[in-house]
Amino acid sequence: MSAARGGAAAGAPDEGDPADAVLRALADPHRRQILRLVRGGELAAGEIASHFDATQQAVSHHLQVLAKAGLLSERRDGARRLYALDPQALDPVREMLSELWPSALERLKYVVEQDQKKKTTAPKRAGRKP
Amino acid sequence: MTVAEVLTATVRIAASPADVFPYFIDPALMVQWIGEWADLRPEPGGRFALDFSKTPVRGEYVEIEPPRRVVFTWGVAGKDSLPPGSTTVEIVLTADGSDTVVELFHHDLPAGELDSHLKGWTAMLDRLVRLRT
Repeated sequence: MSAARGGAAAGAPDEGDPADAVLRALADPHRRQILRLVRGGELAAGEIASHFDATQQAVSHHLQVLAKAGLLSERRDGARRLYALDPQALDPVREMLSELWPSALERLKYVVEQDQKKKTTAPKRAGRKP
Repeated sequence: MTVAEVLTATVRIAASPADVFPYFIDPALMVQWIGEWADLRPEPGGRFALDFSKTPVRGEYVEIEPPRRVVFTWGVAGKDSLPPGSTTVEIVLTADGSDTVVELFHHDLPAGELDSHLKGWTAMLDRLVRLRT
């Protein structure tokens, strides 16, 4: 159908891409829930874990993934580990969303201009409307 | 963080607005540049349905002024946070010599709402990752 579209199934995730790390972190519903919990302010790991049936270890893993993706900031307060949302972290995601339209419009440009060439070289139909 | 965001994008195409405009209202032309499937009824209140990469984008046409402006709503079916019709895409075509400048404004994106970011955008983002590769 579209020559401009790349193979959708191809393309292994780029480990070094910060946007990719963010997307992987967001892919898990528990991790999205954690982000919603800390949206209102900093929370200790134990408080976060209390919202889940999962083991503390599992929650701790999720927290690490989120921290590594830069979605959460982490600090120690005595024995407690405190986590807060890092609002800057969604920037790579927003940048990517803002690529939807530019890349689509580039394809539009390509398609229209190809079609224009076809029209001028082999006018098959009366394409012009009154 | 509740301010709605507007995304903008623009492109210059070597064709007249009259030649470009149908690509926003004709499903067969639409799927050449976005999506795999489209069902479009280009009239105010008419259906705007577009699937890309399993993301069912749903909305309706709001304004159609050939060949210079088209407005449709945009959301994702089944996504509470980005429901069909929740955001608006405005496309303005301006003739510049023998070219057309296409300006796109995506209004009311829930950029300030984290839930929406997380729940609604994930599917779209999946598509974007693939576009980049």
